[in-house]
Amino acid sequence: MKKLILTAAALLALGSATQAQETVRIATEGAYAPWNFLNDAGEPAGFEIDLGNAICAKAAITCEFIINDWDSIIPNLLAGNYDVIMAGMSITDERLETIDFTQNYFPPDPSLFVAAAGAGIDPTALEGKRVGVQGGTIQAAYAEENLAAKNTVVSFGTADQAMADLAAGNLDTIIADGAYLEPVVAASSGALEFVGEEVMIGNGVGAGLRKDEAELKTKFDDALTALKADGTVDKLIAQWFEGRGPYFAE
Amino acid sequence: MSDDFAFWLSYLTNGKHLTWYASFQFTIFAAAFGGTLAVIFGLIGATLKNSRFLTLRVIGTIYSSIVRGVPDVLFFLFFPLAFEQGVEWLIATQVCSPEMIAAQSAAWPPCKDANWFLGTPEYLVLASVSLGLVYGAFATNVIHGALRSVPQGQLEAARAYGMSANQVLWRVQIRQMWVYALPGLSNVWMLIIKATSLLSLLQIADIVLWADRLGAPNFLPAVGLVHADWRWRYYLVLFVFYILITWISEKSFDAIMRRAGRGILSEAR
Repeated sequence: MKKLILTAAALLALGSATQAQETVRIATEGAYAPWNFLNDAGEPAGFEIDLGNAICAKAAITCEFIINDWDSIIPNLLAGNYDVIMAGMSITDERLETIDFTQNYFPPDPSLFVAAAGAGIDPTALEGKRVGVQGGTIQAAYAEENLAAKNTVVSFGTADQAMADLAAGNLDTIIADGAYLEPVVAASSGALEFVGEEVMIGNGVGAGLRKDEAELKTKFDDALTALKADGTVDKLIAQWFEGRGPYFAE
Repeated sequence: MSDDFAFWLSYLTNGKHLTWYASFQFTIFAAAFGGTLAVIFGLIGATLKNSRFLTLRVIGTIYSSIVRGVPDVLFFLFFPLAFEQGVEWLIATQVCSPEMIAAQSAAWPPCKDANWFLGTPEYLVLASVSLGLVYGAFATNVIHGALRSVPQGQLEAARAYGMSANQVLWRVQIRQMWVYALPGLSNVWMLIIKATSLLSLLQIADIVLWADRLGAPNFLPAVGLVHADWRWRYYLVLFVFYILITWISEKSFDAIMRRAGRGILSEAR
């Protein structure tokens, strides 16, 4: 019986391995609007889904989006569960040690502090505050390095959970990508506000791949170069980030 | 008023919510399959513990005492991962050539062809087996105790009628032990029901994960309905669901208890 289960498992594994060669599987988080989220129909949607489909159309490959939790998204890429990560992931030196990135498809974007309106938070002199971040992000590394000594850094599984706790008053401030926070603050009808200065971390957002996928990386890079040149990337940024930018053409 | 009703009806029946409703099947499947396995492992464990052979007795005792002591969350994370890597290692010994191993950049699996991709169905089965293993250890103890609670006189009478050891075990001892085991097993079942809320740990988009995602505040009209933090409303639905399951379970166990106790004169009823 045990042997039977193992053989069945092995066959299953081989089956999925051959399938993986036909379509390129792109992993996303599905909880980081407007980059990637699940729409009302329960399907992945957002800037990166549109862009990923545009890249695949340009490179003439078949792509499929799958949802994977943020904190296991790099390990599962290395294990081969999918081939590409497009999940608002900033290109950093730490990540480049384990995976490769395509050229960026979103320009370097400042990180911002957000707090409840009128709470009087000053990010340059944070002391004894509760600072929320999404775990495993560039902002989490920044907060750990610069703020953890005098404050409590609280790490969340998704950015939405951090926002929920800020709204509930469990956090004093959150540091996150400006492009994620800006529409949220704009839509909060005055309940949230930006505090302090912008912080520049990261080198823009790119698609992550395994280091041995040079061929796929070239395909993605070529397609991105073409899509940047013909304005498709900027058009999608304008569409999903409500005209705020930042853009590549300037 | 009717506009409001139409709005909420369409909101609660959009694709996201339908996926949430559909995800209840994962929870129910894990509980049912995990529960069945727990009883089977419990019977095996109790038989081992009652065995005439020392080795088997030791195995049964080790299983019931060690697995009961390990936190279910830990076992839940450990077992599927260990099983997956074990299978991948086995595949690797068959399909990986030295060149393929040298070309592999990640630490695991040994080569890319040996990767076993676990989707929701695979994880669901592994999760159920984990539940079965953990709660089977509790069931082992319950059934072991119940087997010993069957009055000795009953067994002696059966032997006096000329039944073989196997016949005594299956026709008298196991047949009568349910009356003593069921109260304990109903406890184990309740624990399994509670443990099904851990499914999201294994990348299964279960009811808890969806309640979390649907309830998270949304500020962007492009994403869907703009609303504040509604997580407690969705958790409330789960709350009601679990209470309902508890109520149904209690009713069912009462009925099974009545059936198992037919013709048995005993203080256990």
